[in-house]
Amino acid sequence: MANKKRLLCFKCNKELELKKTDFSYLGHTFFTEVPACPRCGQVYISEELVKGRISEVEMQLEDK
Amino acid sequence: MDGASIQYRNREYSSKANSVESSKILSSTWSICPVCMKRLPALRVQNGSQIFLEKTCKEHGSFSTVIWRGLYDFNDWIRSADEGEGEITACPDACGLCNDHLQKTCCTLLNITNRCDLGCRFCFASSGSASTDPSLDEIRKTIFSLVEKDKTLLQLSGGEPTMRDDLPDIIRIAREAGVKYVQLNTNGIRLGEDKNYARELAAAGLSFVFMQFDGTDDRIYTKLRGKALLNIKQRAIDNCALSNIGITLAPTLVRDVNTHDIGGIIRFALARAPAVRGVHFQPATFNGRVPGIPGNHDRITLDELVSEICHQSNGLIRSDDLLPSACDHPLCGFHGDFIASGDKLIPLLKRGETEKNCCCGTSAAEKNREFIARRWQRPAVYETTGAAGNVDIRDMSVFLERVKSHGFTLTSMAFQDAGNMDFSRLRHCSFHVYEDGKFIPFCSYYLTGWKQ
Repeated sequence: MANKKRLLCFKCNKELELKKTDFSYLGHTFFTEVPACPRCGQVYISEELVKGRISEVEMQLEDK
Repeated sequence: MDGASIQYRNREYSSKANSVESSKILSSTWSICPVCMKRLPALRVQNGSQIFLEKTCKEHGSFSTVIWRGLYDFNDWIRSADEGEGEITACPDACGLCNDHLQKTCCTLLNITNRCDLGCRFCFASSGSASTDPSLDEIRKTIFSLVEKDKTLLQLSGGEPTMRDDLPDIIRIAREAGVKYVQLNTNGIRLGEDKNYARELAAAGLSFVFMQFDGTDDRIYTKLRGKALLNIKQRAIDNCALSNIGITLAPTLVRDVNTHDIGGIIRFALARAPAVRGVHFQPATFNGRVPGIPGNHDRITLDELVSEICHQSNGLIRSDDLLPSACDHPLCGFHGDFIASGDKLIPLLKRGETEKNCCCGTSAAEKNREFIARRWQRPAVYETTGAAGNVDIRDMSVFLERVKSHGFTLTSMAFQDAGNMDFSRLRHCSFHVYEDGKFIPFCSYYLTGWKQ
């Protein structure tokens, strides 16, 4: 349910909107949609994303 | 193969290596005399662009074996190697592993038979037809004594393990004992002949198959294995695919027999991805049954192999896509990690970039094991988001799905023999044969003197 809450930018007080965002790691760049402030562009990376897909991408790209 | 020819060859190598004025000693290590197998101090010597392992036995003369052709920078390749300190006087006679061994077990090899249905020119195990196999009960006891629960990667080998009709039972026992991954090392004949066999092995709990695959032309098989085998290998691949068993192709590379087909093998494998999970190149090693004592011309060094892969793949693979081993000694192998995408390979590793995050040391054995397993084993079920080549793997979710379903590795292991045995390399070995309660480094276990 948490992801249905409205998220506000702490700095701009604007509601975050989903935005396609690039993530770079070890020479590779991937994109996914994350909540971003329409004014200042700051993005919100949820714990779920960090512990889920981002962590998995890191594991797949790191040398054995 | 008699003593005289050995001596003649030794003199030939020795005079060749020592006569060049630009000879430069790079480092020292320990080796053996290939004839009497006594321990000898050895030097890594640069001679022109090439690097040799040089050693002298008072009784049997001097030996100089090429270990690097100079196609890439040697020091750059081995820079991460911890050579270990001091002379380990027990090496290699005291193998199983001693306190001076620098690496844990990544993969455990268990020979379940010495029988084989081929009579190959090269066979490090000298397999043949006459043998008494260990009983199923003996194998059960052995597996239960070697297993580290939920960690062990067990390679069932031989001989040809599919010669045993109870192979599915052995796989089941391994799973029951807590073996995490069961790998079958095979020539693929039975897998190709019997459509139901792969299904039976999969049901028993087989994780993946490692299949001898020397080339894309039957003339290669006729020379190396004594008969045409390409068709049966293709059927083995198809049958494994039907049972969702990942299959990795393992060519033994022999100069002037199949070294011209390195690119062909890669393209053949890639065309059959994701069923085929990669290619594992093994330059011929001169242990067990070999056609003769090797000259330096017969040696295929790692830098030469990397160069041939790049050249013969027509730019599909670049040299910096392939990283020296961090688990074993860098002179023992390399690995490249890719996603198969149509007729292209998308590299995931980059020399100099990815290695910054490398975790070398003893935990490398566990990392290596998990790397092998996650690439060589096919995921149980996966969704495809589109035809190969039509997906955007920059999408994080697509990448994660694709790297699991279409992961593809190019790897190599350069085994050692009496000519190029280097104890610094042996001390890093993570690939161990299990016998009589001991884990024995592969190259130590199969080491064969050339007078034999």
